[in-house]
Amino acid sequence: MSETSRFRSTEGSHGALKGAQTAWDMLSEEQMQKHITTGCEELDAILGGGIHCKEVTEVGGVPGIGKTQLGIQLTVNVQIPVECGGLGGKAVYIDTEGSFMVERAHQIAEGCISDLLDNTAHRLKDFPACPERLQPNSFLSNIFYFRICSYTEQIATINYLEKFLEEQKDVKIIVVDSITFHFRQDFDDLALRTRVLSGMSLKLMSFAKKYSLAVVLLNQVTTKFVEGSFHLTLALGDTWSHACTNRIILQSV
Amino acid sequence: MLPGIEPLNPLLHLPAQKLTLGCPVLDRFLRGGLPVGSVTEIAGESAAGKTQLCLQLLLAALLPPSRGGLSAASLFIHSEFPFPLRRLRALSSSPLATDPLDHIFVAAAHSPDDLLSLLATADGLLARPPTHLPVRLIVVDSIAALFRSDFDNNPKDLKKRSFLFFKIAAKLKEQARRFGSVVVVTNQVVDVIGSEEGANGQRVGNYASLWSSGRRVCPALGLSWANCVNTRLFLSRKDEVADDGVSSRTRRWMQVVFAPHLPEASCEFVIVREGVSGIEPQR
Repeated sequence: MSETSRFRSTEGSHGALKGAQTAWDMLSEEQMQKHITTGCEELDAILGGGIHCKEVTEVGGVPGIGKTQLGIQLTVNVQIPVECGGLGGKAVYIDTEGSFMVERAHQIAEGCISDLLDNTAHRLKDFPACPERLQPNSFLSNIFYFRICSYTEQIATINYLEKFLEEQKDVKIIVVDSITFHFRQDFDDLALRTRVLSGMSLKLMSFAKKYSLAVVLLNQVTTKFVEGSFHLTLALGDTWSHACTNRIILQSV
Repeated sequence: MLPGIEPLNPLLHLPAQKLTLGCPVLDRFLRGGLPVGSVTEIAGESAAGKTQLCLQLLLAALLPPSRGGLSAASLFIHSEFPFPLRRLRALSSSPLATDPLDHIFVAAAHSPDDLLSLLATADGLLARPPTHLPVRLIVVDSIAALFRSDFDNNPKDLKKRSFLFFKIAAKLKEQARRFGSVVVVTNQVVDVIGSEEGANGQRVGNYASLWSSGRRVCPALGLSWANCVNTRLFLSRKDEVADDGVSSRTRRWMQVVFAPHLPEASCEFVIVREGVSGIEPQR
């Protein structure tokens, strides 16, 4: 079968299964996808080109390792204009811990802009509208910031996103900083916690697929006592560990 | 609109509001002071200057915004005794129109539960301040003292302890958010034994090791508490023999262990009769 006929076959119905795709289509679709750069080549390489859309990526690490910095950086990088090889999207930032600092986002946006001007100036020449968009403040205005103070608000906000994303089709990344904080207090019923968390992750996963956006969940780490010594592990337990497509732990050496 | 849902846009042109430390050098070091709406931890060994700095903050909060303050009253919750009233009195002899002590509310907490119920009642104080000034600075001095005695080193108690950390931190952050307050929590340190990094072999923040009085230390209460604060500052001290070879003097430093808006940095400071002040770095 030639390639064209393979493609053609997907346009028709796939037997009884509506909405089914061949693996071939999925592969070519994935190769077409652009990724959101983390701003660090090595990290991009580990992630297979950057943060992938349609996937849930979990990032963990000790306090002060740079999770929030990475989160803010991604909300800026997702906005790199298409002309410069980016996604030109908008970002949703759900802050559960209060660590998002506008002044820091502004600095990161400035850094990103000066990189773009240095590296892609030749491409920008053809797009006169670009310099106006390449202002730190216009980057900041494309970050939708939600500050939530309890786990009920967290659930409510994520449910509300359903409607919000319907209106804001340009959103290409959702960052939750952190998914954990409000779930580490006061849950006597750990089974309930697990159910609530799985519900939330399913919802986020469905947003990722439906709107082809990236979901990045920042997580805290905790120590686990295994065979006589402490190991560092992502919080929220084993069941949660199935919720994400990619999990990375940041560590200092 | 649901709770928590808000656009960032009105904040665009404003840098986050900061509370001055009452010293221009330290303010420059921290890019304006302590940020509102988040929790700052000041960790250090005893006599490093934690309480001195807190007392100074209580007075700085009363200053008008033009001088880096919040024009606000404050709530000071102490778990270490006694409350240093005489020192506060000595520091407050500045020419302010009203007596600063009228705008500093002091409460004592003896246990974590005590602190939680105090914070719950503090909602009333924050929402309906008894004086004409809003209450926008909350200081807890110290968090570590509350947890030092009641808990054993077994899995059940450790779990209970970390639940309490997150509960306390969530309450403080909620108040920081709702009332635009600055929240400051002081923490003690523990000695680090052996060559491991940090408490459980984990390095937290910018420094592989922290030193104070020639000892290797790290902030108390472990990894789970470290997850609860937005910014961690570390105060250290070192006794040095002065140039005459007889008398000794104490040198002190403030270090940024981690902060969402600050790079790794340190600044030397002194504590004098008038309060805490930074020393301009030599170039």
